[in-house]
Amino acid sequence: MAGIWLDVLDGIARTCREHGRGDLLQAVRQKRAQLLDPTLRVLVIGEPNQGKSQLINAIVNAAVCPVGDGRTTVLPTVVQHAEVAAAAVVQAAALPPGGSPGTAPASNVERIPVPVERIPAGVAGTYGRRPGGGPAYVEIGLPRALLAAGLVLVDTPGADEVGAYGGTAPVAALNRADAVLLVSDSTRELSVAELNVLLHVTRSHPNVLVVQSKTDLVPDWRAVAERNQRHLAEAGVPAALIPVSAALRLRAAAADDRALNAESGFPTLIARLHRDLAGKADVLARATVGLTARTVVEQLAAPLRAELESQQAEEQSGPMSRLHAAQREVEELRRCSVRWQNALNDEMADLLSDIEYDLRDRTRQILREVDDAFDTADPLVAWDTFQEWLARSLTEAAEANHEWLVQRCDFVARRVAGHFARYGYDVLPPWSMTVPEDLADRMPEFEQPNVDRFTVSQKVITGMKGSYGGLLMFGLALTLAGMPMINPVSIGAGALFGGKSIRDESRQLLRRRQATVKTAVQRHVDDYFVRVVKDCRDATRQVQRMLRDHFAALTDELQEAIVQSLRTAKQAADTDAAVRDQRQREIKLRMTRLAALYDQAQQLTAARPAAVPLEPRA
Amino acid sequence: MTVGLRLDEAVWGLLHQALELYRDDPRATGHLRHQLARLEQPLHVALAGPWRVGKSTLLNAMMGEEVAPVVGADGSGVFTWYEDGPQPRATAYSANHPPQELAMVKSATGMRVDLVGWRAGELRDIVVRWPTRALRQVTLLDTPAITGPGEHGRSPVMDRVLRDADAVLYLTRDGRGTDLRVLESGRDSAVGQAAPINTIMVLARSDETGGGKIDALLTARQLARRQQRDPRVNALSVTVVACSGLIGLAGRVLSESDFAALAQLATVPRPQLEGYLLSADRFLRSELPVPLDAEVRAGLLDRLGLFGVRLATTLVRTGCDSRAALSGELIRRSGLAELRESVNRFFVDRRDTLKSRSALAAVEALLRAEPGRGTAELLANVEQILAGAHEFRELRLLAALRDTRLGFDAEVAAEARRLVGGDGVGLAARLGVEHDAGVRRLWEAAAEAQWRWRDRAEDPLLRLAQRRGAQVVVRSCEGMLAELAEGGR
Repeated sequence: MAGIWLDVLDGIARTCREHGRGDLLQAVRQKRAQLLDPTLRVLVIGEPNQGKSQLINAIVNAAVCPVGDGRTTVLPTVVQHAEVAAAAVVQAAALPPGGSPGTAPASNVERIPVPVERIPAGVAGTYGRRPGGGPAYVEIGLPRALLAAGLVLVDTPGADEVGAYGGTAPVAALNRADAVLLVSDSTRELSVAELNVLLHVTRSHPNVLVVQSKTDLVPDWRAVAERNQRHLAEAGVPAALIPVSAALRLRAAAADDRALNAESGFPTLIARLHRDLAGKADVLARATVGLTARTVVEQLAAPLRAELESQQAEEQSGPMSRLHAAQREVEELRRCSVRWQNALNDEMADLLSDIEYDLRDRTRQILREVDDAFDTADPLVAWDTFQEWLARSLTEAAEANHEWLVQRCDFVARRVAGHFARYGYDVLPPWSMTVPEDLADRMPEFEQPNVDRFTVSQKVITGMKGSYGGLLMFGLALTLAGMPMINPVSIGAGALFGGKSIRDESRQLLRRRQATVKTAVQRHVDDYFVRVVKDCRDATRQVQRMLRDHFAALTDELQEAIVQSLRTAKQAADTDAAVRDQRQREIKLRMTRLAALYDQAQQLTAARPAAVPLEPRA
Repeated sequence: MTVGLRLDEAVWGLLHQALELYRDDPRATGHLRHQLARLEQPLHVALAGPWRVGKSTLLNAMMGEEVAPVVGADGSGVFTWYEDGPQPRATAYSANHPPQELAMVKSATGMRVDLVGWRAGELRDIVVRWPTRALRQVTLLDTPAITGPGEHGRSPVMDRVLRDADAVLYLTRDGRGTDLRVLESGRDSAVGQAAPINTIMVLARSDETGGGKIDALLTARQLARRQQRDPRVNALSVTVVACSGLIGLAGRVLSESDFAALAQLATVPRPQLEGYLLSADRFLRSELPVPLDAEVRAGLLDRLGLFGVRLATTLVRTGCDSRAALSGELIRRSGLAELRESVNRFFVDRRDTLKSRSALAAVEALLRAEPGRGTAELLANVEQILAGAHEFRELRLLAALRDTRLGFDAEVAAEARRLVGGDGVGLAARLGVEHDAGVRRLWEAAAEAQWRWRDRAEDPLLRLAQRRGAQVVVRSCEGMLAELAEGGR
């Protein structure tokens, strides 16, 4: 039978080596040595003052472990077989910092014999132990049949927390024990802390017993035992409970009273220990191997599972995600380029119409002023002043308009550049547009229009023409009164008429002049407008073309970079996916192997069906 | 001590300052008013400890009657207050019901409260009023079991105990690490760190020490003394007392019929009786040579425990020939008297200090829980009171004297401890003179002590810590002289 579990254990060791877990390998090797050792190492644990030492004394029927009040057991005590009763404090040399207890060579261990009467002091840690040394323990040899059969009892200092066990010395470590006895006295039920300890211990030990001590002290120990059993069942602790009374047993031994011995409950406990001892190479070993396999497989599977999970997480953050990001980037750039082109076109169209309207408005203003002026003024008077004013006004209008154009162009350029803000480029084109200096020179020559002047001869003729009618009219009328045709009255009337017609004629001429000048100015302004608008359009188009070229070049550059990164990302993602797939396959293979190993180990102990979820979570 | 502002006056002022600060917060003002009211109430002493350590038994033993525990249908414990009152009454306070009278069944040695119809976790407090002398000066508080520290290292029950009680009797079987950690959890506030003056550690169930050997109580007492020398325990409690509540209670409620049964048992020859008293089973089941009913035996076992029966029969055999004598001897051996003495000396005599301390702790907790404008100044006030109050200085000196870190000679240390009130705060106890000494004798002793310690306080050869300690002693002496002068006038 032994061969089979040994094979499985060797298989576990091999797996540990394959996985490169030296620590586990060492633990498994230690377990192997321990299982091959025919002795049954029983670790007695429990809270302080539960009667652990007294339990050992009662088992071997000798007061070997000091029993006292308060804390008596300080050093772990190993009780084993010897031909002659003897005791020694065994202390490892102080460990070099960083060294683990398992690596200390055996030669460093120092044994200090302890006289039998000094055992209590030895166990209390006050005799034989050198201060500053390594972990120490007391070894007591005793000639007893039970011990000679291979039973080794290890008494431990009381502790009420999981973490405290095995912390004192390697000799009392849980993993070196074949069986664990948890001692809890009958004055109360198992506490939560004790149940936690049991849960912890049963995870790594197939053979755990709860010993309910001091049944002699309380009348209702049966009820306590019953409740304890219920607590154990509720907590799912597969441990048997044995109520005992060390006091009765020791008394029975002294009085050689078999009935009392039976009453103490110890025969049950010792029978159980005997059975474990006999079954160590078989039942116990198989159960231990099963548990070892479970622990090892859990420990080995955990990092693999974690790796699988982290790989899945990496898919979101690794090269694949970089690839996705690059793709998104390309898309984004495409959208961006459409956006900026549209923006540029729209802005430019708006700009043109705005500029044109502005200029039109300004010239209209000038024209209106001209009209107002020439409604009353005579173009002949102060023409030069007027011409100068007109030229200045038009130049000013053109300049203001141009300035606005420049501002608007700048605005447009910035607006379009805004679309590239997320690429972090300093993208304004290296360009400056100023108002041209020579706007005034570009103005067409404005000649004084040809206007009719009212010359003196014209005035004389017109006066003559006007006076003739008056002279004749009044002359004829007065001839009837017997007066000559030409008389002072008719001459006066003639002069009057002549003056009036001269005045009329001159006013008419002024009107005509004014109209002529207005028309001429209008034409001139129109000419000017057309020319300036043409200039503006040209400038705008030039700006548009320049901006378009600039931003198109920029877009190309960006695209180049992004596509490049896309390409690298894609390459990386491809390689990564290949590597990961390979690794995943490898992990799955290993998991399967572990599962097989686990099954093999569990088959050893068909009675322990507790399965570990091994399949990686999808 | 009349040097400087008196502690209780300072605390009273602080509470009113806090009331002013939180005047817009009805919950906080309610809390503070409660603290003010508490200053006038008897001392609240809680019995706390882990599960099945004998809290209710010890409470019964202290009261001399079987009134605890009040247990719900599901066995869950409630905070139960035992107050002095003219009539026996029990009132239940719950989170969502008005206070309600509870039915009470009186028995020969005590009473039992009926908790039928209450769901688990519904009840918050039960207040039992019980006419007894034991409750004149203290209100006892029975608490549910303290479970191990939670994930923040705190135990909710212990938190409430520290909040509601002025002093704690912390029961433990053997003063193990987990118990000490629970006590340590109470020390994270400024007040908690000032001095461990509100806790007495009780080694409960001392009758079970060493498996119930006949000298169990004596060994338990030695254990307590050993524990007290342990600096870790010392930092957490004023003293350690071993006390068996079971034996003490048995002594206090021992009936003539019990005594008769025990006397009858004692007639059986010792070696023979020992065989019957080997285990509880044997005692109950086997045929005794004396006629003793199984019920009587079960009753004895229930009342005294196996150890108690062993002890009582031995006592009867060695001379306790009457109920009164046996009962007195049981009480003496149980450690109950010692516990009561400790409670008197460390708690009742220091009532004002303890009350002020809990008020300070409550104000500190409130200020830390609800910080706002002005809370920082009040917190500084709390610390100032803690640092300045002579009572707390005395207590700190006491703590320092208990472990030997000050480096005084044993004799000098003992005198310092006596003068600052380590052996009792009465003038006679402090000065180490007989109870009925006259004012003149007291004055002489105090003046002499003052001169001696003033020399010590100014001795350049002593270390600074020693000189500081001596100054505290001098101030205590001055306070005593002032008190004497006031009384003499």
